[in-house]
Amino acid sequence: MQHVGVITLLALRNLRRHLRRTLLTALAMLVGGSLLIFSLSLGDGTHESWIDSGVRMGTGHVTIENPNFQVSRKIEDRLSADTRAAVESALRAPGIAERVTVVSAKMIVRGLASSAAGARPVQVIGVDPLAEVAFSTLDDQVVEGRYLEPDDGLAAYVGVDLVESLDLRVGSRLVLTAQDVNKDIAAQLVRVVGVFRSGVSAIDQSLVHVPRDTAGAWLGSGQDVTNVGMLVAESEEVPRLVSQLRARLAEPIDDGILRVIDWREAMPELNAAVAIDDFGNYLIYGILFVIIGFGIVNTVLMSVLHRHREFGLLQALGLSPRQTGALVLVEGLVLTAVSAVLAIGLGVFITWYFWGDGLDFSSMMSNEMTFSGVVIDPVIIPLFRVARIVQALVFMLLVGGIASIYPAIRAATIDVSESMKFER
Amino acid sequence: MTESTPPAVRTEAVWKTFSQEAEEVHAVRDVSLVIAPGEFTALAGPSGSGKTTLLNLMGGLTRSTRGRVLVAGRDLTEMSNRELAQLRLEEIGFVFQAYNLLPVLTAVENAEFPMLLQGVPLEDRRRRVRELFEKTGLTGLEERRPGKLSGGQQQRVAVIRAVASKPAMVLADEPTANLDSSASEALLNVMYDLNQELGVTFVFATHDVRVMERSRRLVRMVDGAIDSDETRR
Repeated sequence: MQHVGVITLLALRNLRRHLRRTLLTALAMLVGGSLLIFSLSLGDGTHESWIDSGVRMGTGHVTIENPNFQVSRKIEDRLSADTRAAVESALRAPGIAERVTVVSAKMIVRGLASSAAGARPVQVIGVDPLAEVAFSTLDDQVVEGRYLEPDDGLAAYVGVDLVESLDLRVGSRLVLTAQDVNKDIAAQLVRVVGVFRSGVSAIDQSLVHVPRDTAGAWLGSGQDVTNVGMLVAESEEVPRLVSQLRARLAEPIDDGILRVIDWREAMPELNAAVAIDDFGNYLIYGILFVIIGFGIVNTVLMSVLHRHREFGLLQALGLSPRQTGALVLVEGLVLTAVSAVLAIGLGVFITWYFWGDGLDFSSMMSNEMTFSGVVIDPVIIPLFRVARIVQALVFMLLVGGIASIYPAIRAATIDVSESMKFER
Repeated sequence: MTESTPPAVRTEAVWKTFSQEAEEVHAVRDVSLVIAPGEFTALAGPSGSGKTTLLNLMGGLTRSTRGRVLVAGRDLTEMSNRELAQLRLEEIGFVFQAYNLLPVLTAVENAEFPMLLQGVPLEDRRRRVRELFEKTGLTGLEERRPGKLSGGQQQRVAVIRAVASKPAMVLADEPTANLDSSASEALLNVMYDLNQELGVTFVFATHDVRVMERSRRLVRMVDGAIDSDETRR
């Protein structure tokens, strides 16, 4: 467009001319924008906390398993020791190894836990105690006894609700029964070494951890596993890791031996919860910025209506209607851009301020809150992401641009001869 | 005027009709007028006689209902809004009755504004404008904003702006209406001198007797039509 320099000069001077009006509008944008940045960081921090809790209780950010296992949950749909070795080799590959922080291979079976007091359906997970300590948070939630140790043999780590219903205590004997690799019912006597309280009732009633070697011997599965789960530093890295692993393990994937899935596929309820929460947040941001947008429309439109004669003069002097409209649009965009940059600065500062200790909402939560196997941490640590800054900047510029369109059209379509009439 | 030099402005049977409460009002009726380059012409008449509308038609600020308007040989009726804006930038200077200047620009920036749009280099712009400031007694006021200038000074800056870019003509709508007699006289002297020295064509819409007396051609309008067209020596 012609006359960009002149239009920008006039726009800047006009913004300075009504400094108080400009500053008030900028302040609204500044408050809205910084709240947006902080809310996005808080929302991302909340989701990351949910995801972290969910994946640690479950099968990790990324899990590798037999394609049928998620539906069947049967021992025959497991990964053989050779496949497991191939998977572990892929996990050591450059580009993948740096991304993965913890790996835990598990044997997961459904079975029955029984004591003299009765029997309860359970999910038995055979774990490598050392790997699981790094992978899961269950070892931190011990209320009695201890978590599994590498030298443990016939040991079990169980939830408080199961302990209560089967009248167990640390040291009690417990019989686990499940289908083995030969499709026979196999039983295993174990002794309770520790009791945990996760806060999730379903987990506390039904989850039993035993050493993986014990499970292998009991079920005849040896070094086979049903899942190889892994964690990454931040959930944003998951898509990249999944595609890298799919490329590395293309052959067994094509042969239908295994599949690589992320937490979204493995835990659809958690994925839905994050998506719904995101939607709610975006709706609120949308409403907030519609209100701010009306503020900008009001400011810019008032400015246009007060400068009717000035726009007539500009067009009489040779500015085209489109360039006159562009002047108003540039005013709106400059105002928005400056406000947005300041808002980002303030938003980042607020995020940084709460980054260390986080925001403690425990006073608002009377009990432990859970959903879909996720324990909600009352302390939320905001999560800073550069992509969010860019999104917020684009969003604010979009709002400013859209809000300036109508005033710009008004300025562009004035009747020049009418606007230059002098009321006698 | 030679055959190769087109008139500064020519109107051919021009009409301008407005609709007012279901009635048609003819602001300009069948006006044919030729103004040659270098003329110092006044369109006179009482309020509502159509002189300002005719001036707006000549400047491409409004479009005729019927008839043609040609500025420097270019037909305004055929032009888009963008082309009209370009024509105003290149060929026409305007002086309005009041609020002529952009309040966010200094006097010198206002004066050079059309040249800025034309892309004239800064040095040339400043040289031309400073000469005209000197000629019109405004030296020393270059950096003042319009709010810090008197009405007469503002009008003189508007005249400098109108002539500095060397347009085909300057259209001035009641330029002295808001000025006292001495400021009016001074402004008229400035415009007259510029017309004499630089050959700039001036067309005024006015009911100020002083302007009529100084003009070399006086076109009187009544009810939107030309009533008389008198050339003086």
